[in-house]
Amino acid sequence: MTEGNPRGMNCLEFRREKLADPRHLSREALAHMNECAACRGFAIEVNENEERIAIALDVPVPEGLADRIILRRKTGVRGGFSPRLWALAATVVLTFAFGFQQWKDAGSQEYARLAIEHVMHEPESFTTTRSADPELFRRVMHTFGGEMQASLGKVRYMKLCPVPEGTGWHIVFETEDGKLATLILIPAKRMKSDSEQAQVGGWNAVARPGGQGFYAVITDSPETLGKVDEMVRSRVRWRG
Amino acid sequence: MIGMIIKLDSAQFDQTARAYGADLYRYAFWLCRDRFVAEELVQETFARAWKNWDSLEDLAAVKPWLITILRHEHARLYERKRLDYTDDDPQDLDLTSAARAGEHLELEQLVEALPETYREPLVLQVLGGYECREIAEMLGTTEGAVMTRLTRARQALRAHLETSDRARRST
Repeated sequence: MTEGNPRGMNCLEFRREKLADPRHLSREALAHMNECAACRGFAIEVNENEERIAIALDVPVPEGLADRIILRRKTGVRGGFSPRLWALAATVVLTFAFGFQQWKDAGSQEYARLAIEHVMHEPESFTTTRSADPELFRRVMHTFGGEMQASLGKVRYMKLCPVPEGTGWHIVFETEDGKLATLILIPAKRMKSDSEQAQVGGWNAVARPGGQGFYAVITDSPETLGKVDEMVRSRVRWRG
Repeated sequence: MIGMIIKLDSAQFDQTARAYGADLYRYAFWLCRDRFVAEELVQETFARAWKNWDSLEDLAAVKPWLITILRHEHARLYERKRLDYTDDDPQDLDLTSAARAGEHLELEQLVEALPETYREPLVLQVLGGYECREIAEMLGTTEGAVMTRLTRARQALRAHLETSDRARRST
């Protein structure tokens, strides 16, 4: 790091400016970067991080959004928020405010039911490909306390979701039979029972203790659930 | 003549919806973090914009105008009484509670874990390309405050990215 030009910008000032707005540097900042190798390196690193942040923020936009906005203009503007939106907003507030406690207080069959509700709240997990990296999946399982003895299938979606103890993993994979199944890994207190099952809205789930807490398998039919549950039990060895 | 003006206005509106609908949606998503609420917020924003389309004096300023409307719609939805910012210290930027997943923590979750006062200007700058001065105008605060929050937000993310990268390299 240089001491800086007494008439120009020093390294600290440059870094503050670069972090505040990486894309719009002042003439003084550009001049400093030209003279200071350490700050050039810093700028490169910030630019790389900026690209990663931009990718993370670039969430998928629903198809036909602009068409629906235009259609609404043509068919008449509704005044104020719809009751549906108030309900949705309330759901979001409740999820953030009480979701944690709900998981914590879960009693018999609640773990499996709440896992289904989580899946129902995130339908894009079945239509989006995200972090579908088998090696990342293996590492996630290892960190959680599960050693893979054989592949469960093709991982299509992996996302961290808020849960009581911090964050849990939401994983969707395609089995060898071509069926979609969801695996949810929740760090939590140990379950009291060996397993819990639930059926809600056409979804079927089984929750079992494993690794740092418990895991849940969710599928759209009891038959698939039975097969996937058996597969997970035979192909994953849980520590703890 | 009046008919022509209305047609031109509606065409401009439609072009605006096509040009900025996606950007507005992403901004809305990072405000409320729910895709359904985000779409409804965008719909309400454009509905309100269309209602007040005549008051738009400069079409070049339409995007910041829409962002301001969306921000107010979001505040109205959650019945927030104030839109102002709090001045958290850097120490208050506690992302560690979200770091239980260790090296696998995703950047998206880190951004989500940022306080709204840091997340909002970051989204406007990274996705919208706005300068600090423009963000300050939209958020009704000073340029200095925006610069401070953006610096702190990036410092927090940078620290976690470095930790995450180190952990990945060691495995």
